[in-house]
Amino acid sequence: MPTNNDKWISRRRFLANQSLGMGGVAFAWALNERSLSAAPKRPELTVKTFNNDPRQPDSEPQAKAMISLWMQGGPSHIDLFDPKPKLTELDGQSFPGKIKYDNAAQASSKVLGSPWKFSNHGECGMELSELIPNIATIADEITLIRSMHTGVNNHGQSIKALQTGVTQNGYPTIGSWLTYGLGCESNSLPPFMALIDPGQLPVEGVANWSNGYLPSIYQGTVIRPTEPRILNLTPPEKLAGKPQERYLSLLDKLNKRHIENSPGELDFSARVEMYELAARMQVAAKEAMDLSQETEETKNLYGMDDPDTTEYGSRCLIARRLIERGVRFVQVYTQNQYWDHHGGILKSLPSSCKKVDKPSAALVKDLKRRGLLDSTVVHWGGEMGRLPVIQNEANIGRDHNTYGFSSWVAGGGFKAGYTHGATDEFGHHAVENVVNHFDYHHTILHLFGIRPEELTYEHNGRRRKLIETESRLVTELLA
Amino acid sequence: MGRNCLIWVVLLAFGASQVSAERDAPSFENDVRPVLKAHCFHCHGEGEELASGLDLRLKRFIQTGGDSGPAIVPGNSNESLLVEYLTSGVMPPEGTELRPSQQEIQRIKEWVDSGAVVLNDEPESLPSGFYVTEQEKKHWAFQPITSPSPPMVNGTADNAIDQFLLSKLEAVGLGLSDRASRTRLIRRAYLDLLGIPPTPEQTDRFIADQRPDSYSRLIDELLTHHAYGERWGRHWLDIAGYADSEGMADADAVRSQAYRYRDYVIRSINSDKPYDRFVIEQLAGDELASLPFKNMNAETIDLLTATGFLRMAPDGTGSGSPNTNIASNAVMSATIKTVSTSLLGLTVGCAQCHNHRYDPISQEEYYQFRAIFEPALNWNNWKTPQQRQISLYTDADVARSAEIEAEAAKILEERETKQAEYIAATFEKELAKLPEEVREPLREVHATPAGKRTPEQEALLQKHPSANVTAGSLYLYDQKAADDLKSYSDRATELRGTKPVEGFLRALTEPADTTVPETFVFFRGDIDQPKQAVQPGELRVLSSADSTIPANDTSLPTSGRRLNYAKWLTSGEHPLLARVIANRIWMHHFGTGLVNTPGDFGILGAKPTHPALLDWLATELMTNGWSVKHLHRLIMTSRAYQQSSKRNAQGQEKDALQQLIWAMPVRRLESEVVRDSILSIVEKLSASAYGEPVPVMADRTGQWVIGQENLNAGRPGAVVDMKGDQYRRSIYIQVRRSRPLAVLETFDLPELAPNCTKRAKSTASTQALMMMNSSFVVEQSESFADRLITAQSESENQLKLGWKLAFSEEIPADVLEISLQFLADTKAEFVEANPEQEMVDELSHRHALALFCQAMFSSNQFLYIE
Repeated sequence: MPTNNDKWISRRRFLANQSLGMGGVAFAWALNERSLSAAPKRPELTVKTFNNDPRQPDSEPQAKAMISLWMQGGPSHIDLFDPKPKLTELDGQSFPGKIKYDNAAQASSKVLGSPWKFSNHGECGMELSELIPNIATIADEITLIRSMHTGVNNHGQSIKALQTGVTQNGYPTIGSWLTYGLGCESNSLPPFMALIDPGQLPVEGVANWSNGYLPSIYQGTVIRPTEPRILNLTPPEKLAGKPQERYLSLLDKLNKRHIENSPGELDFSARVEMYELAARMQVAAKEAMDLSQETEETKNLYGMDDPDTTEYGSRCLIARRLIERGVRFVQVYTQNQYWDHHGGILKSLPSSCKKVDKPSAALVKDLKRRGLLDSTVVHWGGEMGRLPVIQNEANIGRDHNTYGFSSWVAGGGFKAGYTHGATDEFGHHAVENVVNHFDYHHTILHLFGIRPEELTYEHNGRRRKLIETESRLVTELLA
Repeated sequence: MGRNCLIWVVLLAFGASQVSAERDAPSFENDVRPVLKAHCFHCHGEGEELASGLDLRLKRFIQTGGDSGPAIVPGNSNESLLVEYLTSGVMPPEGTELRPSQQEIQRIKEWVDSGAVVLNDEPESLPSGFYVTEQEKKHWAFQPITSPSPPMVNGTADNAIDQFLLSKLEAVGLGLSDRASRTRLIRRAYLDLLGIPPTPEQTDRFIADQRPDSYSRLIDELLTHHAYGERWGRHWLDIAGYADSEGMADADAVRSQAYRYRDYVIRSINSDKPYDRFVIEQLAGDELASLPFKNMNAETIDLLTATGFLRMAPDGTGSGSPNTNIASNAVMSATIKTVSTSLLGLTVGCAQCHNHRYDPISQEEYYQFRAIFEPALNWNNWKTPQQRQISLYTDADVARSAEIEAEAAKILEERETKQAEYIAATFEKELAKLPEEVREPLREVHATPAGKRTPEQEALLQKHPSANVTAGSLYLYDQKAADDLKSYSDRATELRGTKPVEGFLRALTEPADTTVPETFVFFRGDIDQPKQAVQPGELRVLSSADSTIPANDTSLPTSGRRLNYAKWLTSGEHPLLARVIANRIWMHHFGTGLVNTPGDFGILGAKPTHPALLDWLATELMTNGWSVKHLHRLIMTSRAYQQSSKRNAQGQEKDALQQLIWAMPVRRLESEVVRDSILSIVEKLSASAYGEPVPVMADRTGQWVIGQENLNAGRPGAVVDMKGDQYRRSIYIQVRRSRPLAVLETFDLPELAPNCTKRAKSTASTQALMMMNSSFVVEQSESFADRLITAQSESENQLKLGWKLAFSEEIPADVLEISLQFLADTKAEFVEANPEQEMVDELSHRHALALFCQAMFSSNQFLYIE
């Protein structure tokens, strides 16, 4: 082949620099390009492609990555984060106000004061329950929001509100929006990953990491709790390691032999390079999830030396390793309805806490000592809290409450050692400095350097945004 | 990772056609007017008012200038306001998004400096507003189709196609390559026409066939194969924008009946329905069919089904769209886009808001074109997808169904009675648990309908929530009662299931004998700003004496607009229809069209590489009864099609893009062909044809896979047995816009926006990952190994058979050697790793053979047509 062939050279260059031209949708002009106007557009002659090359937002971001510790089911805020002496006072008596019960058959109007003690922690003096002793040790690192509110009293809808801003199906999650807007620092790992529990999938299943109407490359990639950890990115167990190496080496021989007989077919060589890249990605993914590289001290910090915490701890640790390697957004789930304590709360709430308390605190501590906390948002919370009254007197529990509940956030520009907002004296309704899901999303986007009205995607002739209604940047939460 | 792909998308450089010629001196026609038309004419010449008194449509107008004086001084760009305004960005006005590029402005500057040359005499006078220049009128695609004689050439030509190609090749000192081997040839023909590779028996038979016409016999045979319609039907469905869902709204509602149109397309293509007839039926089948559309015969059903073509656009009007007018207008514009890009190869849609920026199509013409369709797609009297459905129920079906419904109603009545009894009993039971004194008051509350209770009653219920027994909460107290009630509902449902199934047609029909709606030009495309009314009409640049479309054809119960338009379109006089389809057929055989922008033959589209050949093909089509199969035969029996795909240095040096076709271009398989070929090789491909699509659902990780959705709280429930439907050909898999099947999407499914005139052909790492790790490829590779083990006992013979199944050729000796070594090594390794394993010999062999099969599926030799 002539070596001065222009096509050949440009093709090589093209492969060498994959962020070139065609796919490159730089943040700023991506917004421009997709904005709606009455002017006719130049006809689309090329197929539009989207990519995950890293992009710089308009303003300097504080947060570069986010880890969401998702406590689906609704952890009882009044037993963990939001002490209510009034309930202790009224314990066993009829609730003096009006309550919407979800389960009438088991409903009771009897108040249940928290059976667990609260005390002050850290220099900030944050009041937290005895059920979360480890989270208590990071009180000075976190912002506790006691006034979360979605107002849709149903797991699925409230989850969707917090994930996508909308209670219906089919919308992109905030992780998809962030990767759509910002791409990913890593070129060998997926930008958005969901670490699911070995138990059942979370409520709403795949909608939790759905790309909705955004291009599918912005869908969250599921990290399975067992091998293969990532479908298609990690080989099935029976092929992992040597068998696949052999297969790739045979394939390479076949392809190279074929290329020798097909001079000048540049696509053939490009495809060979794609297999090499894919193999590198596998190595990167495997490496990222290989906890044997961590010290015993670190593993113990995450509770991997304790059977109760080892599983969740290992996933929190993987989350940190992913963030370190440039992944943009990671979700770590507990299993389906893990926190949905309609009954048996006296036993099951402590055991739920046991599973996540130490690993969650460890994640914040570990990020901090590695200098990653400043640029990484950690979110801990569920889609609801619980009612101040008893559900099921035979086997005490609490029913749903999305009108006021608690979540905490840390790092990435959130204030440290701060408690925000309040519920009423019964913990039923958020009444002070209420933070709804729109405000929450607005604040997260802000920390990533994005103004909500600018992160848009044209879909079906409409300019869509994560927040399609009024929202507020909750400046009080910012450091 | 399927659709969760990492990026690394690499588009092939194939698309970039138009070999750039040496730059001529700048001229008004070539360098200035197109830019001004795109960016300035709207206010300066074609608008209702002339901004600043400046008309930019002619050079002499520019020189005369407007309120600020002359806009150019030829020879001196520094003195020229036009250049100054463009360079400084004063014009186009602030806020205009689409702006001329720096290169374009630089070129205008050069034009002024070089004396502001005009190539043609400018008209004496110009009517105000939109006008078409002589140069635009002369655009190649708007000229009548000619029937050129094949040129004389030196090289050997098998038919006229070769002569046209050779004349260009010989002009640069190239020729056609040698004929490809028989094995390559049969594989190429199978993949091209059927979308699956030949079996070893089919290959052997062809190679052994010594008759001189064995190759053309092969083509003839393949053209009678049912799979031909499935393969080429898919091409048509791309440009029709076929989908089994409505899109638009987030629910992406399923179009359960759209498949009838897909089946119509497959049947039509298999029967070689003349292309003119095919087009007429799809544009105006309803106007050909006999009324009323009840108890219809097969022909009427077919004609109405054909109009599904005009019902493929995304349609959110049945999904609770907030603004119905905007939603229905969107359906109309998408339909026009589909019609114009697929049949005309024009982006007419660009003139919806504004005169077309690049093509000589005025906004008014867009609405004249739209008026052809408006009587059936009347935004002012819109029908949702549901309302447009035409029932296939016969009167007998209706009667039988009513009988069954009456029986079901009886069962449900019994259920109601039973339910009341259960509620009453449960309520009393709960009451018994409560203090005596509240029982009677609670009875009263219970007897009062929920909305009519007093505040005191509500408070009482709040205090004793367990007394609130309702139909909705009964199951919380008494599951047995709930189960019993469910058994009634189940019985009713089951009975209703025995009704004759009511099928529907997704068709477009125009109301008969009603007033034809008026079509207006919408100012800036805004449906709320209608301007002048227009009559139906062909685009000016395509018009001829025969292209008149009457506003209301009195010989028909409908307006007849679509039928008359379709007749003109297929009259043989239309400059685009035959060219566009001939180009598409060529593209699917050679990978690239003679016009490389198959959806845009306009000013911005690519120029034809072989205009005479394109016209010759178009004429061949029209003069041979519009037979598409005739065109296949011509193309495939040419030497050009049969030549080797191996590139040579000479050709590479002179024409690396292979526009002159000095070797057969190599083409990557489309996603459907990848999947279908794999299934065919492992003998799983289902022969089942037509009918309801195979559904697509999310698996536990969110990948879209084949399967019947069975959700429980948003999570997948038990897996429903697909009974072999999971192995149907890809054309029968549901095309749900929001659910692209993962194994297909990875290899570039068409983007339906609203249709796809040219697919992307990417080379991406996600494709590599799919071949390496996906359960689909891994499983089929194991099935492949099983097939080989069943057929042959010796390793060597298994490898030989496998190679031939995958690549339609004998395994080369060196590859056999490598592969035997691979088997031995891989087996040994497996045995070593699994010392305790029973039957380790068989298992290790299967394991190694499956990996060999997987390597074949993953290889370039498999993924490309050579």
